[in-house]
Amino acid sequence: MLTTLRDLLRYNIEFRIGAILVGMVAVIAALSFVSPYSPIDTFVVPPDLPPTLAHPFGTTSRGQDVFWHLTFAIRNTLAFGIVVAAISRILSLAIGLLSGYKGGWVDRVLMSINDTFIVIPLFPILVLFYFVLRDHMSWFALAMIMALLGWAYDARLIRSLALSLKAREFTHTGVFSGMSTREVLVREHLPYVMPIVFATTMNNMNWSIGLEVTLSVLGFTDINSPTIGGMIYWANQHTALVAGVWWWIAFPVVVIILLFIGLFLLAVSMNEHIDPRSRLRRLGAGGGP
Amino acid sequence: MMTAAALPSDKKCVASGQPATAVLQVKGLKAYYRTRHFGVEREVRAVDGVTFEVRSNEIYGLAGESSSGKSTLIKAIAAAMRPPLEIVGGTVAFAFVPGGKDLHQATSAEVAAIRWRKLSYIMQGSMSVLNPVRRVRRSFEDFAAPHLGGTGASFEARVREHFALVRLDPNVLDAYPHELSGGMRQRVTIALATICRPDFVIADEPTTALDVVVQKDVLGMIRNIQREMGSSLLLVTHDLGVHAYVTDRLAIMYAGRLVEEARTPQVFASPQHPYTRHLIASLPRIGDAAPRAGLAGAPPNLASPPSGCRFHPRCPLAGDRCRRETPSMTVFAPDHRVACFAVSGGTA
Repeated sequence: MLTTLRDLLRYNIEFRIGAILVGMVAVIAALSFVSPYSPIDTFVVPPDLPPTLAHPFGTTSRGQDVFWHLTFAIRNTLAFGIVVAAISRILSLAIGLLSGYKGGWVDRVLMSINDTFIVIPLFPILVLFYFVLRDHMSWFALAMIMALLGWAYDARLIRSLALSLKAREFTHTGVFSGMSTREVLVREHLPYVMPIVFATTMNNMNWSIGLEVTLSVLGFTDINSPTIGGMIYWANQHTALVAGVWWWIAFPVVVIILLFIGLFLLAVSMNEHIDPRSRLRRLGAGGGP
Repeated sequence: MMTAAALPSDKKCVASGQPATAVLQVKGLKAYYRTRHFGVEREVRAVDGVTFEVRSNEIYGLAGESSSGKSTLIKAIAAAMRPPLEIVGGTVAFAFVPGGKDLHQATSAEVAAIRWRKLSYIMQGSMSVLNPVRRVRRSFEDFAAPHLGGTGASFEARVREHFALVRLDPNVLDAYPHELSGGMRQRVTIALATICRPDFVIADEPTTALDVVVQKDVLGMIRNIQREMGSSLLLVTHDLGVHAYVTDRLAIMYAGRLVEEARTPQVFASPQHPYTRHLIASLPRIGDAAPRAGLAGAPPNLASPPSGCRFHPRCPLAGDRCRRETPSMTVFAPDHRVACFAVSGGTA
């Protein structure tokens, strides 16, 4: 694991850039723990100040320091992505592995549920949830909803792998030696699909963060806990661009774009690392078509 | 179908003073693949009435061309069937199953209790028996540790001791399968299947993927381990050279049925069944450059096998009776059974 990381950092430029970008964003998020201001207080600093040494990213019309407010926002947004990814990974792994391994009616039932989740349009449903939940909509509730809606694509991917693993001799040997279904799935199949799960985790985080930002910008989430989308929402509420307070929108957008690019590069480089053909090409041996 | 009189039962062996007793007795075993797609039922009779026994401390070979039902037969013997494969008839009795029960009638707990400890299985294509993303040690812990028992250290010692038997370096335990050569991987697989010192080992094409030099080495090792443990081995391969090298007795399978069974040297020296004769005649021999005559026709489709003797459409000796009746395995000489009307003396 550690040597893989070291090799990736050393030989894979995409992975290096991605790691640096995500690392930068993580550092910004970590700075929130030493912030001099509370994220919910307003008018703690003079409003509408452009970036200066005292306030490197300027201040908002609501009297918040953009930089320190941003540290809270990106922390919440990052945590949101991680929670959604973690919960949806557990779901997609459990459903994908079980469905592919068991086959038969288990597979048919699980995959018809799976396909239902794939085809239903997520955005209107999330908006609907907001109108139903209203004041009960916290970022954690939204994370749970997104996790419950976001496992389907990867469950299909994992199922296809499980279908192939099911036919391998080590599965037969395991079953013959008396391993239970749970043991076969956890001890034999799970380690095999983990690298792919890592790669899809990054994509899933990108997807959930993007959707969360979209919802927050439109005001369909809990707008009082600071998130990137929430910051943009408040900036729009105060017509920041018209008023010339561009720093209120620009810095959150830059940070979230850095995070997107970072996660995307990590996902791409991991995909490439997992695929033996592209790895051979990278080594100069010339892969297949 | 086969009559009881035609079977050389184990009683006969005991009566003739042979020390070897039957560890496995298969009687009239029928295993069919039954599928139903859109109301169309299809039945592939991959194993159709097979009777034989494997004695203790012997290597029993099973030969036959592809699609003759070899793999199906051992799946049925190991009770490792998955749908659509079904046992339609016959019994599989292992001496170590409590009460001499038919394996297919035993409860799943009883089956689980004998697997690996008493009955183990070297799978076909054993190059992938080891999980590519798990170290060899983990495979041993996953597959064998629950049956061996013992804590980490004593289990480790047992595995190391067993590795010495198959001439494997203990460091192999920390390797991933892709880091091992084909021969080493095969040895690890065999070590994995034999670590519990089972009474009965089923080996399905254990050396097909190896070149002849490594093959000889691995086969010699299989034989040494079998002799050392005194267990019985059912070795299945289409490679007659392998059978000549290691097996004690050899059965020839054709289209889901046994056609001949004898001591291995006898099969090669005096094959009786027309199919076996052609099979043996097709083998290359040193110093004999004469071209080998092929046998006309192809093995039958087991979804609609020919009537009577399944070999009759290709058999040069086939008569009317062969088309109508199924020949049963008849004792031709001591330890030599043949299923052919032309051989057993009757009119073909």
